[in-house]
Amino acid sequence: MLSPERLALPDYEYLAQRHVLTYMEDAVCQLLENKEDISQYGVARFFTEYFNSVCQGTHILFREFSFIQATPHNRASFLRAFWKCFRTVGKNGDLLTMREYHCLLQLLCPDFPLELTQKAARIVLMDDAMDCLMSFSDFLFAFQIQFYYSEFLESVAAIYQDLLAGKNPNTVIVPTSSSGQHRQRPPLGEASMLEGVEASQFSQCLENLCDRHKYSCPPPALVKEVLSNVQRLTFYGFLVALSKHHGINQALGALPDKGDLMHDPAMDEELERLLAQVPGLVNSATANPEAGCLPSRTPPRVGSPWRPLHHARKVDAESDGSTEETDESET
Amino acid sequence: MIPGKYRSVSGRAANNVNCGLHLVIQTSSLPEKSKVEFKLNKETPSFSGRLLQHDLERNYSSRQGDGRVISPSPRNKSSCISSTTNVTELCGLEMKTAMSSLSAFGDSSIQTPSKSRIRQGCHSAGPNVSGDHITLASSSMPSFPILQRSSEEKILYSDRLTLERQKLTVCPIIDGEEHLRLLNFQHNFITRIQNISNLQRLIFLDLYDNQIEEISGLSTLRSLRVLLLGKNRIKKISNLENLKSLDVLDLHGNQITKIENVGHLCDLRVLNLARNLLSHVDNLSGLDSLTELNLRHNQITFVRDVDNLPCLQRLFLSFNNISTFESVCCLADSSSLSDITFDGNPIAQESWYKHTILQNMTQLRQLDMKRVTEEERRMASVAAKKEEEKKRESHKQSLLKEKKRLTINNVARKWDLQQHRISSIAPNQDRKVSDCPQDPSQLRGSTVSAFPEETGSLDSGLTSALQGLSVTDTHLVEVDGDTLSLYGSGALESLDRNWSVQTAGMVTTVSFTFIEFDEIVQVLPKLKIKFPNSLHLKFKETNLVMLQQFNALAQLRRVDQLTVDPQGNPVVNFTLWKYYVLFRLSHFSMQKINGTEVTQNDMIMAERLFGILAHVASSELPQYRLISILGDARKKQFRYLLETKGKKPGLVNEENSDSKRLVGENTNRATLNYTTRDFYNERLEEIKEKKKFCKMYMEDLVKEATEINMKNEALQKLWPQMFIELVRDAVIEIRNKNSYMKLCLQQITDQK
Repeated sequence: MLSPERLALPDYEYLAQRHVLTYMEDAVCQLLENKEDISQYGVARFFTEYFNSVCQGTHILFREFSFIQATPHNRASFLRAFWKCFRTVGKNGDLLTMREYHCLLQLLCPDFPLELTQKAARIVLMDDAMDCLMSFSDFLFAFQIQFYYSEFLESVAAIYQDLLAGKNPNTVIVPTSSSGQHRQRPPLGEASMLEGVEASQFSQCLENLCDRHKYSCPPPALVKEVLSNVQRLTFYGFLVALSKHHGINQALGALPDKGDLMHDPAMDEELERLLAQVPGLVNSATANPEAGCLPSRTPPRVGSPWRPLHHARKVDAESDGSTEETDESET
Repeated sequence: MIPGKYRSVSGRAANNVNCGLHLVIQTSSLPEKSKVEFKLNKETPSFSGRLLQHDLERNYSSRQGDGRVISPSPRNKSSCISSTTNVTELCGLEMKTAMSSLSAFGDSSIQTPSKSRIRQGCHSAGPNVSGDHITLASSSMPSFPILQRSSEEKILYSDRLTLERQKLTVCPIIDGEEHLRLLNFQHNFITRIQNISNLQRLIFLDLYDNQIEEISGLSTLRSLRVLLLGKNRIKKISNLENLKSLDVLDLHGNQITKIENVGHLCDLRVLNLARNLLSHVDNLSGLDSLTELNLRHNQITFVRDVDNLPCLQRLFLSFNNISTFESVCCLADSSSLSDITFDGNPIAQESWYKHTILQNMTQLRQLDMKRVTEEERRMASVAAKKEEEKKRESHKQSLLKEKKRLTINNVARKWDLQQHRISSIAPNQDRKVSDCPQDPSQLRGSTVSAFPEETGSLDSGLTSALQGLSVTDTHLVEVDGDTLSLYGSGALESLDRNWSVQTAGMVTTVSFTFIEFDEIVQVLPKLKIKFPNSLHLKFKETNLVMLQQFNALAQLRRVDQLTVDPQGNPVVNFTLWKYYVLFRLSHFSMQKINGTEVTQNDMIMAERLFGILAHVASSELPQYRLISILGDARKKQFRYLLETKGKKPGLVNEENSDSKRLVGENTNRATLNYTTRDFYNERLEEIKEKKKFCKMYMEDLVKEATEINMKNEALQKLWPQMFIELVRDAVIEIRNKNSYMKLCLQQITDQK
């Protein structure tokens, strides 16, 4: 309550900026919605539960998209929930299409917009072949960047376009939400000739952007670090670099490191318990959980026919199937 | 049988008629050699026995009757002469009887070894007898030999001349034989009919087995009654214009493709066109006396004009290409026809053949050489009636099928249109379903066809309930055995109908086609109640696109099998869909998905993939949310139950416990439910409203709070100073003790 920032702003703005209002509004809204049920066990109890769940990040489960994306905390919570729930899918080694990932997202958020998933897939696939299969980790990290920094990325796209066009973006008012037209990637010929934009210039622009951006953006130092490694880069190259940067992942704090992505002992334990309850299932799973685990991690999956194709598709992305690492991490 | 018949006929002829013309038909063992003997005789009845035997002796054993030839027997020279009138009259009369019976059997095989033995003798003796006395002298003309007979020969056989097997290549010029009545050129090599135009009294002309290519040179033979041209090379029936009194015309074994130029032969009784190349029968009008028509061994596919033959009694159509009764249906209109053969035609292979023929041709006495018995006729009529019924039924069925097909097409078109529209415009819910009036008779018919075992209960008041199939233009509902098929969204309304308990109980498979899945979701509770035994759900073209849509199926009572056709259901392309279904609907312990057996491994995999989702959903959800999500489902059920209450209290109770069981069974996945897009959007709208209100409310509240806070803070800030000031004021006031005391006392006294 006594942080110096607090004194810099009027109370109301401070609360709004800290999204306290969002949660209070939502709490009241939920209360309103479930009046009858809640009145049975007390309004105080409800508020306790509500704010507890907000702290734990479970408040976004099965909520509407507008709420899920309302605050950075909600976004991080959603990312974490997605990871938690479908880690097993990734662990199983299945490569899925963008639509299928979208379906999984919709299981948690029924009105999750397709556009976001598409954008995330574009980061992974680097081209418009949207029917390609993606590994869970590739998708998840790309999705994290796209979802969490969605507004920031739109601004970046606008800046990138301006740079490509030779304009000085700093004089241009950066569009925040209505920058759909900037989303198109540069024509192939131009891109191959120029190979994107110069990193230093781009970096400067982004620094400026980070300074005045009112939405959350990745730590400027890390962005600088990403950009300092190369001379020139394309927009998608930048996004891929962002998504692969584990510092950014750490700063975001929603997901574990890539190496630990498939690692969640608490849930694994829970899963074993659940597997033991599968109706009609006999001792195989319970008596010998390792044996039960085997099919999920079998190497044949890695070597299955569509694997090479997948590799060829995303040479640019330099993304190896994360499965190898997964195996590493699990052993 | 055949010889017996033959015997009786010839015997009768001999017995009853003093002056008899005997036609003896012999069929040789070789088809082309079969032979008919034509005898003129004038005998006493007592002599007939001998004659008969005599005849029989010279009969060649016969096998195939197509090559029938009528020839004068050279042996009966003395006895067969009679007056001209007699001959012609009898010829007509007797031939009719004899020919008719004989030709009827002529085709069937007659195997009599003894006769074939006799034949040898005949060959050596018979034809040569006359030949011995004939001198064929070369004429002055280069190619025509001139025939001359000795005078005694002439006296002996004044009216007949037999030139069998003389290796003739042309007709010889026959001089001074103007009174000839019979002329036999059998088995020669004659290519053209010539040099006989002077024989104007000729009654019988036999040119069997020659090489004649065209009928010609007969225009002067006005009295010709029997013309035998079998086994030649004739391609066309022609040049018979003047032969008005022709009685028998044998053209078998030629190359005739078409019946023509015979309309003027009003006296013709027998026409033999067997073994030709006829493809159909036509142009028969004018043959007013025709009693027998032999058309065996052609390629006839249809028969017309037979009903224009007033006297036709025997028609032989064996070994042709007739395959339907329709192609010979004119036969049914012939009142005179009593004997017909169809053997060797495709039609005779049909199961309906006999009774159809008998039913349509009641006048028949013989069919395929067998007598038609009364019993057969009766059976035929019964069978025909059955056949008719069956036909009607099948027609109705095919009509129904066609209508079904059309309707489905229509629904599919609508669906396509709608899909297109959905992709371009926002989904529009007020689709019009215009039910067109249904044809009640058809409805009834289809009901019968769909539930043959329930026809008995049709009139038991359940008629309206038993709607096996109702066809409308925009949707289709069909019950076929245990399958209820719904096409088009309008078909969902049928679930509101009062289905009979029996029907409803029987349905185990429900198939949805061309229906938006979201619409199906809305009727699932109804489906559960109306068709409690439905175990197998089929979806095709239902726009299943998301895994979460399967959540909706969890509310059903039981699902053993699920079939989701990839057509129009993109969700099937996902690798995970099967596992998700298994996971979400695990409480059904499903047996088959898309026809494949569900294995234990599938179940484990499903649990492995999605178990955590369920766990997270159930354990990490704040309690108020859990209650509200579960409550939603429960509330929904209750709302529906309230609606149906009163009607079927028993069902409701059952339902109640069922839903409880359901909820109890899988609380951890009950949170994963599906609300249809429209409903969800509605809810979002609602939430938006509430949010707006909450926002305003909170804004006010927070503003108030911050204001209070601000005031409080300001006060807090001022308070120490104020306190000091207050204290200072007080101290200053009491600094001069005396004056202060005075003041105080003053105040007290003032008060009083």
